[in-house]
Amino acid sequence: MSLCAGAAGLGLGCLLVILGTLLWHGVGGLSLGVFTKMTPPPGDSGGLLNAIAGSLIMTALGVAIGAPVGIFAGTYMAEYGRKSKLTAVVRFINDILLSAPSIVVGLFVYTIMVAPRVRVSIPIPQQLVSALGSKIEFTLGGHFSGLAGAVALAVIVIPIVVRTTEDMLLLVPQELREAAAALGTPRWLVIRRVSYRAARAGIITGVLLAVARISGETAPLLFTALNNQFWSVKLNAPIASLPAVIFQYALSPYDDWQRLAWVGALIITLAVLALSISARALSVQRKAQ
Amino acid sequence: MSEVAVAIPLTTDSKGLPLAERVSIRNVSFHYGDVRALRDINVALYDRRITAFIGPSGCGKSTLLRVLNRMYSLYPNQRAEGEVLLDGENILAPGLDLNLLRSRVGMVFQKPTPFPLSIYDNIAFGIGLYERLRKSELDARVESCLRQAALWDEVKDKLGASGLSLSGGQQQRLCLARTVAIKPEVILLDEPCSALDPVSTARIEDLLFELKERYTIVIVTHNMQQAARVSDFTAFLLLGELVEFGETTEVFTRPKEKQTEAYVTGRFG
Amino acid sequence: MRIHFQRDMERLEREILFLGSLLEQATNKAILALTARRPDLGEEVIAGDDEIDRREVQFEEDCLKVLALHQPVAGDLRYLVSAIKVNTMLERMGDLAVNIAERAVPLAGLEPLPAPPDFQQMAADVREMVKLSLDALVRQDSALARRVCEMDDTVDEEHHRIFHELRDMMSADPTAIERGLHFLVAARCLERIADHAENIALDVVFMVEGKVIRHHAEE
Repeated sequence: MSLCAGAAGLGLGCLLVILGTLLWHGVGGLSLGVFTKMTPPPGDSGGLLNAIAGSLIMTALGVAIGAPVGIFAGTYMAEYGRKSKLTAVVRFINDILLSAPSIVVGLFVYTIMVAPRVRVSIPIPQQLVSALGSKIEFTLGGHFSGLAGAVALAVIVIPIVVRTTEDMLLLVPQELREAAAALGTPRWLVIRRVSYRAARAGIITGVLLAVARISGETAPLLFTALNNQFWSVKLNAPIASLPAVIFQYALSPYDDWQRLAWVGALIITLAVLALSISARALSVQRKAQ
Repeated sequence: MSEVAVAIPLTTDSKGLPLAERVSIRNVSFHYGDVRALRDINVALYDRRITAFIGPSGCGKSTLLRVLNRMYSLYPNQRAEGEVLLDGENILAPGLDLNLLRSRVGMVFQKPTPFPLSIYDNIAFGIGLYERLRKSELDARVESCLRQAALWDEVKDKLGASGLSLSGGQQQRLCLARTVAIKPEVILLDEPCSALDPVSTARIEDLLFELKERYTIVIVTHNMQQAARVSDFTAFLLLGELVEFGETTEVFTRPKEKQTEAYVTGRFG
Repeated sequence: MRIHFQRDMERLEREILFLGSLLEQATNKAILALTARRPDLGEEVIAGDDEIDRREVQFEEDCLKVLALHQPVAGDLRYLVSAIKVNTMLERMGDLAVNIAERAVPLAGLEPLPAPPDFQQMAADVREMVKLSLDALVRQDSALARRVCEMDDTVDEEHHRIFHELRDMMSADPTAIERGLHFLVAARCLERIADHAENIALDVVFMVEGKVIRHHAEE
């Protein structure tokens, strides 16, 4: 019993030390300027605005791409293909992806979206040639981009959401579906208005946890979105992100950069904490029902 | 053995009241995968009467009930053979609109299953599948259904509360109201009181007497006293076969088959 | 639960059969008291009726208890309902035996009167009916029970003839009137005992077959 208490105490202690260190070093640098000014060259004062903006954009986009894919896949596995071989295979692959190192994900997206240059040429139909020219030509890929960063994050989001969606939907009692079916409800309506409704809190929790996970991911962004010193919200160009900025500034020899790195770390930690707490609050609410 | 029911199609009951055959179950067999659960069942369900299916555990009574609204079609491994005629139309025919069937044949399950919605929405859910009603009409319908289920007085002030906040007996009556809301012709009840206390059970049994005036009712129960109290006709099933079918008073005072006598007097099962 | 019920039913069965045997004895003794001019036997019958009455009340209580606690159905239910009726029949037969015994006492003090010729036969038939109806009850034999019902017609005829024989005897010899009247009452009691025995037989048919053949002369 004392061994367990001791181990718990050790874990808790480490967590408190981390938080304490973050707060100690980061709070001093927190100011309004952090949220309004751009990342500065060394020596100048500045903030983390573009990094925060970039992180927010890519996280939002990553979830926007990854969550629907994950939810639909999880829905298929739990509602339609519960016993099928395909579901078993998908679940297996999903579990592998769940623990795939995020740097591998980054490399993968680099290989398909960043490295290759693809020349796209779309012929225009006869009627519109006079207005738009004979064809539309553009180049895809070949450079780092915020979109690639978002895609990399989405690839991390998908397995998490698939797993939680499937688990939550499997928890919905079969009698509830039968009761809805007994009223003559078509299959898709049963899923939408009964299964989803019942599993709603759980699925949202899963999405929130995925968001928390990707907020702190650095490695995939290094290969895809790179970083950007200046303000940019263009998706087809490198974009700044908090983790990348922290990576760059923490390793630098400059004091003000290092301070900004601490502040960035603190912001990420507090954001993840807030997300985890809301996820926890949602699951408690679900239990109380 | 199964010829007992079909050989004498009844036109009047023992009191001389006319009987109309609403559902005809003809040579129905059922398989779970390779296992045969029902063999050649022939039974008639009469209009606006309560028919009880009784028998020991595993005899196939719930299986037979679930054939009547094709609930087994949700599961790939289960199949039924034979014919079930609802007003002359075979509901086991492939290509039948199952949702339409289930709007005519409703079901209440053993475990109360209110949706995770408000009490009002639980009832409006089913109505909304088939009808587009104005708010005032919908309110009136919800009230009427809750009254039919003898639940109105208990919940009229909290229609917005979650259906899950009710007691077990109330939840089951809510499920009954929900089933009645879609205006079915036949109501199937699969051991509806087995999870309830005696008082709730008695209330639901009283309800069935009232509902009998409008709907044809089939109830599966392992409680023989309940079958005796509530039903007009009783079908006794054993190991997937129909052993005896007749008016409840006959089955419980002078059963024709020895196995029926042994079961109802409690000598086995 | 089932064992409990079974034990109760077996006990009830033993009780009703015991009551039946008490009845048979009382009937036979009463007839003998009358025809053999044995007032002592008559006194025994009269004294023994208390036990019959007591047992009748107890039996009804016991049946009610089983009905309430076990809610029997089908064959068990028919048995219990019939047993309650048989119980009542037996008690009434006991009272009738007492009536016959009560005739034996005064008759012993009077001049012997030759019993009407059919009287002995009727008494024998009634004793037989009682015995057979109780046998049918023991063996749950509905064929035997139906035979008992047929015998009642014979007994009724015999009663009718005794009435005429006694009337003739009394009009021929007015001093025989008092004795004759005792015999008349005794014959009437015998006829009623036979009716009750027939009712018992009808109840046995209901127990076994579930059919009510009362009031159906052709059956």
